[in-house]
Amino acid sequence: MPSGQRAQWKGFLKFGEVSCGVALYTAASTGERITFNTINKATGNRVNRIFVDSETEDPVPKEAQTKGFEIENGQYIIIDPEEVSAAIPESNKTLEIEAFIRCSDVDDVYFDKPYYLTPDKMGGDAFAALRDAMKKSMVAAIARTVLFRRMRTVLIRPHGKGLIASTLNYDYEVRSSEKAFEEMPKLKIQGEMLDLAKHIISTKKGEFDPATFDDRYEAALADLVKAKIEGKSLPKPKKVQVSKPNDLLAALRESAGMMKAATDQPKRTAANANTGAGRQRAARGAAAKSATSKAAPQRKAS
Amino acid sequence: MAPKYYWKGYLKLSLVTCPVAMTPATSESEKVRFHTLNKETGNRVVSRYIDSVTGKPVKGENEAKGYARGENDYVVLTEDDLDAVALDTVKTIDIDKFVPAESIEWIYFEKPHYLMPDDAVGNEAFAVIRDAMKSDNVVGISKLVMGRRERAVVLEPRDEGIVLWSLRFGDEVRPEEAYFEDIDEKADPDLVPLVQQLIKQKTARWSPNMVSDPIQDALLKLIEEKRKLLKPKKAAKGQKEQAARASNVVNIMDALRKSLEADLKNRQAG
Repeated sequence: MPSGQRAQWKGFLKFGEVSCGVALYTAASTGERITFNTINKATGNRVNRIFVDSETEDPVPKEAQTKGFEIENGQYIIIDPEEVSAAIPESNKTLEIEAFIRCSDVDDVYFDKPYYLTPDKMGGDAFAALRDAMKKSMVAAIARTVLFRRMRTVLIRPHGKGLIASTLNYDYEVRSSEKAFEEMPKLKIQGEMLDLAKHIISTKKGEFDPATFDDRYEAALADLVKAKIEGKSLPKPKKVQVSKPNDLLAALRESAGMMKAATDQPKRTAANANTGAGRQRAARGAAAKSATSKAAPQRKAS
Repeated sequence: MAPKYYWKGYLKLSLVTCPVAMTPATSESEKVRFHTLNKETGNRVVSRYIDSVTGKPVKGENEAKGYARGENDYVVLTEDDLDAVALDTVKTIDIDKFVPAESIEWIYFEKPHYLMPDDAVGNEAFAVIRDAMKSDNVVGISKLVMGRRERAVVLEPRDEGIVLWSLRFGDEVRPEEAYFEDIDEKADPDLVPLVQQLIKQKTARWSPNMVSDPIQDALLKLIEEKRKLLKPKKAAKGQKEQAARASNVVNIMDALRKSLEADLKNRQAG
């Protein structure tokens, strides 16, 4: 049991006939970002917000406010908070695993917020067995329960010694990628263009640790404010040069050339370069195949 | 329902650049949402800004963003000013690194967006970057200013387009050690195969049905019942009533969809 941290939720994790006491802890919080104050330009003063009746413009005190659902223009159905509460099923405080799904089958676009899932003192054995079995079988688990006054589905997966439970967005909250991309032309890039792009990628391959990433925005904004106070003209954004279809191959060749020079590779003759490309192509066929079969189920978002 | 783009800019790999548009992959537009009403009049309650010193209402065109320089001392910033912040990452996603797909921990994934070409001129360049990542089974790493922060982003090829994930910052992810330190590292070796058997029995394919929202369904039903009480029935018999009910349901869906525009507008403003 982690000390000094407050659990967001306590209950049971149930799989088959086994259940163990568990707790959920917020795994990620939203950091602070720069906020602006709303100002009255005419006076330079800050503004306050008040709530008024849209017709009479009279202030409406909190106790005179209620909730309504708009059905047609200006027509509302009033829903009392108690009625909303009544729609929430009684919580049985149990995350019951309904199904296991293969890790490669998980559609990550549904991910909402992550929580650390930990066992209580008594539940350690069952918890560890579930975690290791899921790791070995390479699956994640789907469970549902009432969390924070909503019926939430969570995706549970092993993570180090523990489990992470991510709340998932509802079906109606996720736009299908198929629909989003349906108007795009079906282009398949092959041959030299693909080889050049892959070469550029190969020179930029590495590792990335998100924990080490720094936000430069605040400093840049402070510079901008300083320039404005001092009456200096603000820098104009640089004009971006777009690659025209006719220039694309040349841009790729030039990029690949630059990369070659940068990585200090000996210049290859045209003949050598061709053999190299041929070899890569054969190898890629296999790689692409395995990549497609692995990723295919993910494309099924609707 | 054509999605509105909430960001437009450029995707860049070395010397290859193409215009792109981005739209959030998730939306709250179809969630049942309530407005605040005045109990006494039944009218909507709306917010108004008043000057904190003079107490007078502030006209919309006088509302401005203020950067606090001191107490009660603000520098007014326009949208154009904000666009002029000296970071290329305001308008350009320059991919400077590629890593194996699935090497970024899920816990860092903050919000997904769909990225696509914004002009036919860039279709081929976009496809080159997408297909090269696909055939190498890598994802691209870049950075982009989103919501007044410069965030690391991951680009993963998907279908004809690219999914762009904004990533959480290191200080937004809580260190797992504090939570997991007391958990047993090894499980009972006799138990694990039994659980694996159970897993095998209960393995299913992913389906969006797994993320339905029964509470929203219940609220929609409640709204529908109240709606029926609102209007006296015209013909209270047989098939006619059935037809009326069906059309009411459609209307509620229309009403929900109508909020899409407002939802997207709000996101753009943010």
